[in-house]
Amino acid sequence: MPEITQGLLGGFATALKPLYLYYALLGAVLGTVTGVLPGLGPLGAMAILLSFTLSMDATGAMILFAGIYYGAMYGGSTTSILLNIPGEAASVVTCIDGFKMAKKGRAGAALTVAAVGSFIAGTISILGLMVAALFLADIALRFGPAEFFAIGVCGLILLVRLSGGSLLQSFIMILVGMALGTVGVDFLTGTERFTFGNVELGQGIDFLPVAMGIFGIAEVLTTVEAKAAPPTVQKVKIWELLPTGQEWKRAVPAMFRGSFLGFLIGLVPGPSPVIATFVAYISEKRFSKKPEEFGEGAIEAVAGPEAANNAAVGGAYVPLFALGIPFTPAMAMVLGTLMLHGLTPGPNLIKEKPDLFWAVIASMYLGNFMLIVLNLPLVNVFVGILRVPSGILMPVIVIICMIGVYSVNSSPLDLLMLAVFGFGGYILRAAGFQAAPLILAMVIGPMIETSLRQALNITGGSIADMVFRPISLILYSLASLTFVAPLVMKAVRRRKKEGIHEP
Amino acid sequence: MTANPQRSHKIIAIFLFGLSLFYLLGSFRLKMGNLNNPGPGLIPMAIGFLLVAFTALHLFRVFRATPAAIGKKTNPGAEKKNYRAIAGILICTAVYPFILEPLNFILSTLLVSFVMLLLLRPGKILFSFLLSLAMAGGAFLVFARLFGVGLPSGFLETFLFRIGGST
Repeated sequence: MPEITQGLLGGFATALKPLYLYYALLGAVLGTVTGVLPGLGPLGAMAILLSFTLSMDATGAMILFAGIYYGAMYGGSTTSILLNIPGEAASVVTCIDGFKMAKKGRAGAALTVAAVGSFIAGTISILGLMVAALFLADIALRFGPAEFFAIGVCGLILLVRLSGGSLLQSFIMILVGMALGTVGVDFLTGTERFTFGNVELGQGIDFLPVAMGIFGIAEVLTTVEAKAAPPTVQKVKIWELLPTGQEWKRAVPAMFRGSFLGFLIGLVPGPSPVIATFVAYISEKRFSKKPEEFGEGAIEAVAGPEAANNAAVGGAYVPLFALGIPFTPAMAMVLGTLMLHGLTPGPNLIKEKPDLFWAVIASMYLGNFMLIVLNLPLVNVFVGILRVPSGILMPVIVIICMIGVYSVNSSPLDLLMLAVFGFGGYILRAAGFQAAPLILAMVIGPMIETSLRQALNITGGSIADMVFRPISLILYSLASLTFVAPLVMKAVRRRKKEGIHEP
Repeated sequence: MTANPQRSHKIIAIFLFGLSLFYLLGSFRLKMGNLNNPGPGLIPMAIGFLLVAFTALHLFRVFRATPAAIGKKTNPGAEKKNYRAIAGILICTAVYPFILEPLNFILSTLLVSFVMLLLLRPGKILFSFLLSLAMAGGAFLVFARLFGVGLPSGFLETFLFRIGGST
């Protein structure tokens, strides 16, 4: 404990230096802006700024990226609530009830709950990261390919259950996402798969143009399709920002539940902030006394997932600091930055570079404080940006999406992908398909495949050996329960109803 | 989407089924391996089979569904759709990758944003042109100059910002 206190004090001494404070503020603002602007997520912002960080030292670069990551999580909720456009993937769930709240005139309350939830979650997850970076490393190390496979499969099963639409359509979207994830060179054997001889496709289909296409461009097309429909951007007045007492009562416990859940999910591989939001959503629905309000504007459905995605950010840093393994694409970007600065991430990083570790931890506290101070009063500034007529805003979103996609690889093929997935997302959405399962499956798919193949190699092809492992078995049981329980409960309810009607 | 939701649902279902078949057939060309040593084709083949099965079931359901059932699932409020704007935006996003490098950033972005603005705010030609110019110039300033993103540059970019060609 004295070690932690001493380290943290040293970290604050470093992070409070004017230059690092400036980086934290810059990261928080840039992160919020990129989170607010649809199409530009933390990944895009980090990719754009990667070369820019070369002029900084490693500590400065890490502080900037931490600010961007947290800021994007804060900002992503704004467009989800006000425009039904997720600023980044982790805000997809917020669209469901956040936008419904906005339609009911409770946009201000939803925004405040999202910001406060993010602050609470950020603080809790930093505490968790600080303590757990050392102690939880052992547990994460025990995860083998069989467990990784189980985590991925369970994430997808949970997703199918909560996406709310047709199960068949969700399964189709998951399989399409997984199929997209198989495009490119198979890194275990070097075999080209579905590349048709195209060198660029050999690197696989990038996540960014797909996500921006089926969320950004498809949303633009859906928005402009209705001639009569005015833009759905909500005006938020300062006094409307305050949730009612009843809303606070419902939201605060959800924030804490989401924070703990998000932090734990952040420890496991995959797009943890995205999974955390979905798991938090379904958990809140289970906990809620009014589950029927979910999907219609339930405030817990905004508070829980928003807290979860911020907490997952802190959780995602644990394996990076403790093991040197990035579990999310954004953490891979952070890892790349460390390597660019000549550092070798791994278990020895904290011992060899304690100044960097504690300065980043301290800057996260400062960044979170800056974000809540900036975000709540400035919500109307962001709303002001989004209140621009859709006839102007929509072309701007399209242009930002196109530049965002192009800026990562300078590839016209990525731009073409953006157009294809934009059109695909639009027609699939119009036919009642959900986009989220496709995106999640596309990101998790390669991890699932690699884990399965490695696990089969290790177990000598024994599927039983893969399943009957403590962690895997627990995960499969939980997933099965989530899948089967609603069906059983439905059957029980039906039987009870029939019993009542019988003489 | 077409005005007839049943027909468009059928087209989408057929397209998905065709895509699944195409993917499955493609997976057959890859090495399957075995359970002890799975090859690069094992997972794609499994995905392909499941996709074909599920999309076939979906196709069957769509063709069996009554027009009323399909109409219920689609957006009931969207009677009059701005097809011109949808098609225009789609064409702009599809054309942009092909004109970006030949025309360079400012001119291609100006062109695409001008067309989109005209489609969404018809009649405001001068306003649309000035806004497009501001968007293209502003975006180049922010992304290329501030963030150092390598955007295709030529005479216009060099003349306006004196940062030289980057491609």
